[in-house]
Amino acid sequence: MEELILKLKQEIIEVLNLEDVKPEDIDNDAPLFGEGLGLDSIDALELIVLMEKNYGIKLQDPAKGKEIFKSINVMADFIQKNRTR
Amino acid sequence: MESRGLDFVVLNQGFVSVNGRVLEHEAEGNALLSELYRGHIGDWPKFFKMDTLSKAGFVATELLLKEIGEPRCGSEEFIRSRAIVLFGSTASLCADRNYQETIQDKDNYYPSPALFVYTLPNIVTGEIAIRNHWRGESSFYVLETPDVEQMAFHLACAFQDNDTESILAGWVDSTMNDDFQAFMTVIRKEDVADVDRLAAQLQLIINDLNN
Repeated sequence: MEELILKLKQEIIEVLNLEDVKPEDIDNDAPLFGEGLGLDSIDALELIVLMEKNYGIKLQDPAKGKEIFKSINVMADFIQKNRTR
Repeated sequence: MESRGLDFVVLNQGFVSVNGRVLEHEAEGNALLSELYRGHIGDWPKFFKMDTLSKAGFVATELLLKEIGEPRCGSEEFIRSRAIVLFGSTASLCADRNYQETIQDKDNYYPSPALFVYTLPNIVTGEIAIRNHWRGESSFYVLETPDVEQMAFHLACAFQDNDTESILAGWVDSTMNDDFQAFMTVIRKEDVADVDRLAAQLQLIINDLNN
């Protein structure tokens, strides 16, 4: 799981162009949206694409992203359970 | 140096000047925009998500406002009366290409929302307006070349509403991620009283851009 969390952080930093953020700066339990990394709705869509592209997870209901993207830990757990690649 | 009567910033992939003073830098291309952001701006992380057109327009604007010493959030009256009128020749072509790459391969078809949102040239005006809380008119005109007479004409027209008192005006163009050019200036009502003179002033700035 630790390996997946680190990989996920690196992917998020790359795909969302978080230039000045390092993986260790992202708290595993901190909210990704709002106070946390300050991500916006376009970032949420980009994370949905990331999950499909890198892990084969097609999110049928984008509204579920709100729960899945609650934190890195929650997102990694969801990917672990649902990944097809 | 001949006075142009307008404050201005000129930048391209290998050159930056503010009111004719060359700014020293190390990087070139897109990395130059990041260097300028880190060295002179630094408090707007959304910069890194922008396309090259928006980055160039954003950086040129920030350098210009810093030079003028204009406060970030002016009065309510000011933010309603500041318009943005930009010009460019290739519109959002660079962003269009980047986006197209994400949909080119049917076996690797993952349209990028973050790239898609920049596939309109007037997004750069929005990025600048959001940063500065300006709520006046904003437009992006596509011209084949930096035709100063047309630019002066459109700028003069922009003052014909009852709201606009000043305009952030400029040329912003990007054909590839590492290839861009921009100039930015602020035009006030009195500057358009003589449109021919304004066109001549803009031409002097463009000469700087091309040198």
